[in-house]
Amino acid sequence: MSEKDVMEESSGLGKSVKSVGVVQSIADNDHATDRRESYTWEEDGYTVVRGNARTAPGCHDNCGVLMYVKDGRVVKVEGDEEDPYNQGRLCLRCLTLPETLYHEDRQLYPMKRAREDRGKDKWERISWDEAYDMLEQGIKDVQARHGKESVYVVCGTGRDVIVYETILAAMLGTPNQAMGFFPGQSCYIPRTFSTNLKGGVFFEGDYSQFFPDRYDNPKWRRPDYVFVWGNNPVVANSDGNLGHWIVECMKRGSKLITADPKLTWCAAHSEYFLQVRPGTDAALALALAHVIIEEDLYDHEFVENWTYGFEEYAEGVEEWTPERVAGICDIDVDLIYDVARAIGGAESWALQWGVALDHTSEGFYSGMACWDLVGLTGMFDHPGGMVAGVAPFSIGFPWIPAATDVDWIPADLTMKPAITYESYAGLNTMGMPASDAILEGMEEGREDAIKCCWFYATNVLANEGAVPERILKAVQDTCEFNIVSDIWMTPTAYACADLFLPVTCFPERSGISGHQPYRTGAIVKAVEPAGEARSDQTVLIEVGKRFCGEDVVPFKTDEELYDFLIARGGSGMDYATVRDYGWVYPEVEYYRYKTGGLRADGKPGFNTTTMKYEFDCVPLQYMGVASLASYEEPPESPVSTPELAKEYPLILTTGARNWGFFHSEGRQIPHLRRVHPDPEVKLHPADAARYGIAEGDWVLIENTYGSCKQKAHITPRIKEGVVSADHGWWFPERQRDDSYFGTLESNINNCLSIKSGKIGLGNSYKSGLCRVSKVEG
Amino acid sequence: MTKGLLIDYNYCTGCHTCEVACQMENQLPPDKFGIELKQIGPDQIDDRTWQYDFFPVPTDRCNLCAGRVAKGKLPSCVKHCQAGCMHYGDIEDLAAQITGSKFALFSK
Repeated sequence: MSEKDVMEESSGLGKSVKSVGVVQSIADNDHATDRRESYTWEEDGYTVVRGNARTAPGCHDNCGVLMYVKDGRVVKVEGDEEDPYNQGRLCLRCLTLPETLYHEDRQLYPMKRAREDRGKDKWERISWDEAYDMLEQGIKDVQARHGKESVYVVCGTGRDVIVYETILAAMLGTPNQAMGFFPGQSCYIPRTFSTNLKGGVFFEGDYSQFFPDRYDNPKWRRPDYVFVWGNNPVVANSDGNLGHWIVECMKRGSKLITADPKLTWCAAHSEYFLQVRPGTDAALALALAHVIIEEDLYDHEFVENWTYGFEEYAEGVEEWTPERVAGICDIDVDLIYDVARAIGGAESWALQWGVALDHTSEGFYSGMACWDLVGLTGMFDHPGGMVAGVAPFSIGFPWIPAATDVDWIPADLTMKPAITYESYAGLNTMGMPASDAILEGMEEGREDAIKCCWFYATNVLANEGAVPERILKAVQDTCEFNIVSDIWMTPTAYACADLFLPVTCFPERSGISGHQPYRTGAIVKAVEPAGEARSDQTVLIEVGKRFCGEDVVPFKTDEELYDFLIARGGSGMDYATVRDYGWVYPEVEYYRYKTGGLRADGKPGFNTTTMKYEFDCVPLQYMGVASLASYEEPPESPVSTPELAKEYPLILTTGARNWGFFHSEGRQIPHLRRVHPDPEVKLHPADAARYGIAEGDWVLIENTYGSCKQKAHITPRIKEGVVSADHGWWFPERQRDDSYFGTLESNINNCLSIKSGKIGLGNSYKSGLCRVSKVEG
Repeated sequence: MTKGLLIDYNYCTGCHTCEVACQMENQLPPDKFGIELKQIGPDQIDDRTWQYDFFPVPTDRCNLCAGRVAKGKLPSCVKHCQAGCMHYGDIEDLAAQITGSKFALFSK
């Protein structure tokens, strides 16, 4: 009996299932590897447990891991060579997992503290029952006084736990849930908002990850070019893209194009490296389109049959000549022609876009401008191009509040507006709160101000929030009740929480992996939780019972919740099926816009009102903003604010990822901290000489918003005139009382604004202004 | 037959996985290495060409994960290398895999 037969027999799995209106078959998961029949086995004195990696500690990927357990402890973690996702490879974060799991700083028990003791070491250990009583009473008291909406459920970016945060907020009856104090929701949301409007579905670069047999799949071809735009994928691994898949494509002949102000490894190994001025990406995209149209390199068949608004688009890009844009981006004009001809002439190319596109004030336009290049060259659902990301078996994003068919979402919730400003048409369309409106509401004591924060897998003071000093003051002084769920006593928890809930790391719990469009997999519990830690999902269920009742939240175990969520996708699977099998891929076809696979009605075309890919984005017309991609200077730049630039002559970019760390995580893990011991600001040698800074000097970075200090690394990798500063720093080795682990000292968010772009999406995290000077360490 | 490591440093991204995989496998502290990452560049050779390469070098602490190899497994660095640019085997077989420039063969 084959593995597949075992699976179908044990689960009664049908050959095809309904998924977001699209029928998805199960792919032949009997790929070349000889998959083990069980998820656990004995080996050399260890019990080995196979599962998918997830959070905590945080990550965007689902690597297959083998957890080696002895005496109830995870002793080591290795990559699972049978898993198509990572094929046995593994990064530092999982390799060092035992150091996280059993770290002396890990928080293992629920704790409470009086409101007046916030920021003081006056914690008292309590039982979970006491913790739930306090939580229920605390939230209900706040809600009785200020309304259900006065609770803010704040998440970070650690998958999969953060996607349950939307359920949690719904159960508490508040529409105010989002990435916390993060202006413009500037990570993926600006890009995906506008490009989903234009194309009706999300598309991912095609590195063969949609197929269980990966690079050997006969339908797949490698991209001729991978255009790495505004990210460093081998370090960042963002959004479910394992960056080293691109390296495998390179081995199979893919060439790279990189747009980045910094010479990354990818940039140095690119055929074309566009060292752009930060924040000018949209201009570059418009100039590339200009050349592709002018030189007639576009895909006529696709443009004529499957797109809307081409003439208006072509007219719009006319003014963005390469000569003009070369000046805006500060790059060689010939490079623009060469890159346009490269992607215009390629059989296939994939856009590997990054968060830099969201980190400009009008980030949704940068994404649109890049997406139009994909449309122009006909790369949607094209092998080696961009593949439509449909949630596998409908269990990729099963729990968003829009899915109003579950009892725990109050009928009136979707009618309640989140705290926002009226002008933020884009953000408001998604029903998301605006970070600046929330913060200013708290500071000014507005009637609808937030009075309770539940920080869920986020450390906003160190990482996510712009203007952290203001956030600290607002949350510490004006909130009546704050909760933090985490594995560490973070600066945010120490400064703000009244109740601390210790949560599990992924080897201590079960879960569904996925949350990206390739496949469904299982997080598998290998050991009992350390101390009294409980999974975020257990907390969700137990809190849900208290707020919605046992009849609405009947689950007795985490697995019952997963069974329910998986069953809603109609695949016939349950948690145990997925766990036993390890990973299940849907059958993916290309060119679904031709076959009806992108629309619920099964008609050919894109899932937009025009049924076409919209160069001219019709829904944006209703929001009162330009419906064609355009370029605007960053709100502060040498061009838009020349006077300010005299005082602050350097361009400040932030947020570049470092090996081993995930945002503010990893600083207390010895084998990770060794790789990157200090907060680092990269300066070009000419700038360092200009300002008298030597390698290893401590540098004060300052602008109109604030200042911080970081250690200088002088390197020609960074564009002259630009400084690149680390984000996410705190110092777990310091005393808690030392300014909350020193988190405001080297925090580059001090130098950022909390204002977002015009429609509430995007923020200039990567294109501010600053000056630098040497300071004492 | 002498065993060794073949590094195809056309593709080494400098991710430090080999260093940490080795440290965890062999219980080495953060500042001790069985294999250590080295860097060439960044060096701008002409307008459009840079050299910015990495390659790992095994140290005298490296025994090519003898315990793992005895059980039929790959050395931990080779197994976990994210770029898949490290190979273990008999040095003559490894030498035969050198198909171009920027390969380094280390004998142990």
